[in-house]
Amino acid sequence: MAATPPAPGPARQLAEEDQRETTRLCVETALLLMQHGTESAVVENMVRRLGLSLGVERVEAGIFANSVVLTTLSERRSMTTVRRSEDRGINMHLVTEVQRAVLSVEAGELDGAGYRTRLEGLFPFHYPRWLVSLAIGLSCACFARLAGADWAGCGVVVLASSAAMGLRQGVARLRFSPLVAFFAAAFVATSIAGLSELMGVGETPRIAAASSVLLLVPGFPLINGVSDVVKGHWSTGVARLVFATLLSAATCTGILLAISLWQLWGLL
Amino acid sequence: MGPFVSTLLGFLENAALATVSAVGFGISFNVPVRILGWCAAGGALGRGLRFLLIAAGIPITWASLLAAAAVSFLGVWAARRLRAHPKVFTVAAVIPMVPGVPLFTALLSISQMERGGPTPELVASALRSGLDATFIVAALAVGLAVPGLFVYRRRPVV
Repeated sequence: MAATPPAPGPARQLAEEDQRETTRLCVETALLLMQHGTESAVVENMVRRLGLSLGVERVEAGIFANSVVLTTLSERRSMTTVRRSEDRGINMHLVTEVQRAVLSVEAGELDGAGYRTRLEGLFPFHYPRWLVSLAIGLSCACFARLAGADWAGCGVVVLASSAAMGLRQGVARLRFSPLVAFFAAAFVATSIAGLSELMGVGETPRIAAASSVLLLVPGFPLINGVSDVVKGHWSTGVARLVFATLLSAATCTGILLAISLWQLWGLL
Repeated sequence: MGPFVSTLLGFLENAALATVSAVGFGISFNVPVRILGWCAAGGALGRGLRFLLIAAGIPITWASLLAAAAVSFLGVWAARRLRAHPKVFTVAAVIPMVPGVPLFTALLSISQMERGGPTPELVASALRSGLDATFIVAALAVGLAVPGLFVYRRRPVV
């Protein structure tokens, strides 16, 4: 799998301190990629290439759902480190920047110290919350239109999904579990969509209600989970798929609570 | 309106709506501004291609698989230019193909069976929409993995 074979050349004599720093850089890279939603095969590949470019002979990474174990080997000396990893939410900006920095190291444009500076200067970029809510509202309305909703229904979906996304971000900032955030967002979206339809806005209540909760589709855990299991990364793959299932269950619970509470059974 | 014109209009409508949808999800995944255009292109390609395949008589599940694989190949092609992993934008691009209404219908039918006992209609609707939805979601996830499974087996994309 090694993308870069260990370069033939002068015998590597990596000082202990340099190897330690390389190990740290590798494990921090793995953590950043894992925490912001990268599939395991890419994480493993990136740290291996980074380590080899920085002069160690081998890099072995064990990637788990909430920790990373990493060993570098140089001159028959091995260094191993473990880091706890917690989910920081999907952030493709950070993933892109880390990956580009690793590619720069591989191309010889950055050395270890330069890479360290680059990593420390990285902060996850976030779009403003109002923009995310509005964009998701429009997304879900387009979904509704694709599924055949009328224009009034699409308007309801914009309102319901934007409110739900705003709530989901707010709840997540208060450090609640994502499961709680998804449950609350599903409840609010279904309530707004269902109650508007109850008041007679639009002729396509089921499509409007179904589209307004689509912001809660756990796309990344699901797709990364499938990628991981098909590539043999069982532990992270299964963990991601279970997480996607739980998020969906939380969403379903929120939807059903709203339907039961507002007596929407006949309408939808 | 001839069948050609109506297919063309359907294709354009699908592609245009999917563009907005994919960009919205891209924003929620914090995709960098310069890559959002690729979310749009991928969304339009996926949904547009799936519409044409369905119009050509291919069942929606297989059409979803092919469309997701096409998006993934577009991702691989773009990844080289962007120096970024294809999933940075392909995940947002396949989300417009998620079968929202069948999923919702299956959930409603199952919970109605739980409340009032199963009737043949509810069982049929739960099974039909549930199976449809499950297969389409699986097709999307596997479709995205196709380049890695068949082409980039032993080497990284970027």
